[in-house]
Amino acid sequence: MEFNLSENTTMVADTARRYLKDHYGFVTYNEQLNQASHCDPARWQLMMELGWLGLPFPESIGGYGGELIDVAMIVRELGAALCLDPYVDLVVAPGKMLEYIGTERATVVLQSIIKNDEKVACALYDCHAGYSVHKPTASIRDGKLSGQKSFVPDGGCANRVIATARIGDELALLLVPLESCEITRYRALDGSRYADLVFHDIEIDDGMILSRGAETSRVISQVIAWLQALDCARMYGAANALYQRTLEYAKTRKQFGAAIGSFQVIQHYLVDMFTDLQQLESMLFMVSVKAELGNAQERDRACSAAKAYYADKAVKIAQQAIQIHGGIGVTEELDIGHYFRLMTHCSLTHGHRDYHLDRLASLSEVNGLG
Amino acid sequence: MNLEFTQEELDFQKSIRAWMRENVPEALERVSALGNMPTKSQQQQWERCLGKQGWLALTWPEQYGGPGWTATQRYIFDIERAMAGAPPTSPFGVAMVGPVIYTFGSPEQKERWLPGITSGETLWCQGYSEPNAGSDLASLKTRAERKQDHYLVNGQKIWTTQAHWADMMFCLVRTDPEAKKQQGISFLLIDMKTPGIEIRPIYSIDGHHHLNEVYFTDVEVPLENLVGQEGMGWTIAKFLLTHERTTIAGVADSYYALARMKQAIEDVPYYTDKPSARRRMAELEVELMALEYTNFRTVAATDEGKPFGPESSGLKIKGTELQQKMSQAMVEMGGLMSLAWDSSSVVGNESFNNAPRRYNFLRACTIYGGSNEIQKNVLAKMLLGL
Repeated sequence: MEFNLSENTTMVADTARRYLKDHYGFVTYNEQLNQASHCDPARWQLMMELGWLGLPFPESIGGYGGELIDVAMIVRELGAALCLDPYVDLVVAPGKMLEYIGTERATVVLQSIIKNDEKVACALYDCHAGYSVHKPTASIRDGKLSGQKSFVPDGGCANRVIATARIGDELALLLVPLESCEITRYRALDGSRYADLVFHDIEIDDGMILSRGAETSRVISQVIAWLQALDCARMYGAANALYQRTLEYAKTRKQFGAAIGSFQVIQHYLVDMFTDLQQLESMLFMVSVKAELGNAQERDRACSAAKAYYADKAVKIAQQAIQIHGGIGVTEELDIGHYFRLMTHCSLTHGHRDYHLDRLASLSEVNGLG
Repeated sequence: MNLEFTQEELDFQKSIRAWMRENVPEALERVSALGNMPTKSQQQQWERCLGKQGWLALTWPEQYGGPGWTATQRYIFDIERAMAGAPPTSPFGVAMVGPVIYTFGSPEQKERWLPGITSGETLWCQGYSEPNAGSDLASLKTRAERKQDHYLVNGQKIWTTQAHWADMMFCLVRTDPEAKKQQGISFLLIDMKTPGIEIRPIYSIDGHHHLNEVYFTDVEVPLENLVGQEGMGWTIAKFLLTHERTTIAGVADSYYALARMKQAIEDVPYYTDKPSARRRMAELEVELMALEYTNFRTVAATDEGKPFGPESSGLKIKGTELQQKMSQAMVEMGGLMSLAWDSSSVVGNESFNNAPRRYNFLRACTIYGGSNEIQKNVLAKMLLGL
């Protein structure tokens, strides 16, 4: 067993940290919160130059052949910087979907994402289906798509979405231009831009169907596993930032004539945060490796365990960070509260704690403890 | 041991329930049902309505405008109020400055300020915390210098809830900078319209404006606005901590929140995991019941003339922890629906769309009014003798 990051992965992480330090801060974040589009052309260009747009994809189709752990290190740093640039939503998620579909048509779209020629988002969820991504309520009948999607993280700037829909009993992935949908836009809990879409009998020609049938389900599960691992990466970055800031605050904030970090109760709080953080990091390494596995059961067990653990412990770190900061922690003026919202947000995407505990239990049931 | 209300109490409950049904405005009920907070005019209208009935200053002696109810009756009233979807009364007037004024104030002060509180006309805010005096409140620095016919106040308060709504502030100020920490503090009533007062809003992570910073620059406060003697401020502040706090656990509003949670689950026909939601709510209900019966004991003790002292710190700790747990459960049960932060249209279910705001707001409840860590210090020292 070996837990060291490769030289390459370490370099990706260091570069990401440096890039964000130079180009993104709490001020940038606050500006971005109020912008309708979260795709800043200048930063997107820089991300392309850093190789991020191609990193998650194989070299054979023009990517840089990175592993999930490499992407996770980038996302960890994005979380640590509170960065709202929709890298996961507009590069990794649609890109992996297209890569796993693997057809010529899909590859062409993927290459345009890598080259920054277009922005594509994934529309996988709706209110009725909840977390059941394999059972969308949208459907195609007589060549027309109807139904709706909610919680589409498109950064306010995608031009097409990869949407799930049913064709009879089959599950399908469609490439739908946003201009053909009714769109309601809003800000999500973490500050990112979401869209709800209504499909009013949109004409679907064969060219818009990326994938259908049994294969489709497999593709979606593989992508969701990536996204679950990346949720953990983002939460880890945020949890670590919260811990660092809270530790610093405890050393400098004085009450009763002493730094509050000299009080035993605060010391124990911080030690709890530290030990939880350590375990969170272990779970991040674990899930970053296993979420890429071909064995679906082992992959999904790992993802559910990690997401359930994060929804508990990373959220607790955020709550404790506020408690130790006191009043200033519940204001919009300090980043602590913003990390807190990010943490709640990520604990609810791609399955909340109950969902994952149930899934873990059912996956464990079939084959005993294995 | 008898765990039942008497027949008279049950009749009382019936009459209060009927009155609430008639008098809680629908708009206000809707605000509560979504877990939101009333606007200033909604809150004030409601308090005026209670004031007309003589039902605002529930704990006060009758001579000052209290209804003369037992603690049990007050408890029943609070439950009926909450379950009818009405907000709690703003504590600053009726629960805080009022009792201070009728206990420590001069006859003139009582005459001048108490009627505005019992009628709901005068809105108060609390000027306690300062940037460097939070948990360590006694290190506050806002200075009140005694001049010929007024105090000259300079300094800054922070976390002042509803300062932007308030007509008056009760304020802890330092009148004697030479005296020992706690001894140089005085209790001053300040008209918020006095020149030299500047209010800056602080937005909290629920996205709303409840909190403020209040700056005082050469603010002239009449000498007659001092309550008690100079240097008595700390004694008065401590008096407030032991003043009846039988509703501090927030049992009534937690029952209402639990009912809302159950309703929200039922309102979503496609809610996928009702069994685990129900189990979770049952767990919360068990905790709430434990809190409720502990609360009943404080109520009964008060009616026997043996009111709780520092024990109420325990109620605050348990009550606020439960409020946080419940609001977190609501957010988690909402799943993806909890992610729609500012959508102009409903995404799935409005109560779940709103849930994170309340959850975010309630992170403050273990901090305000003396953080739970400070409450534990109080218990350790005063009750356990540590």
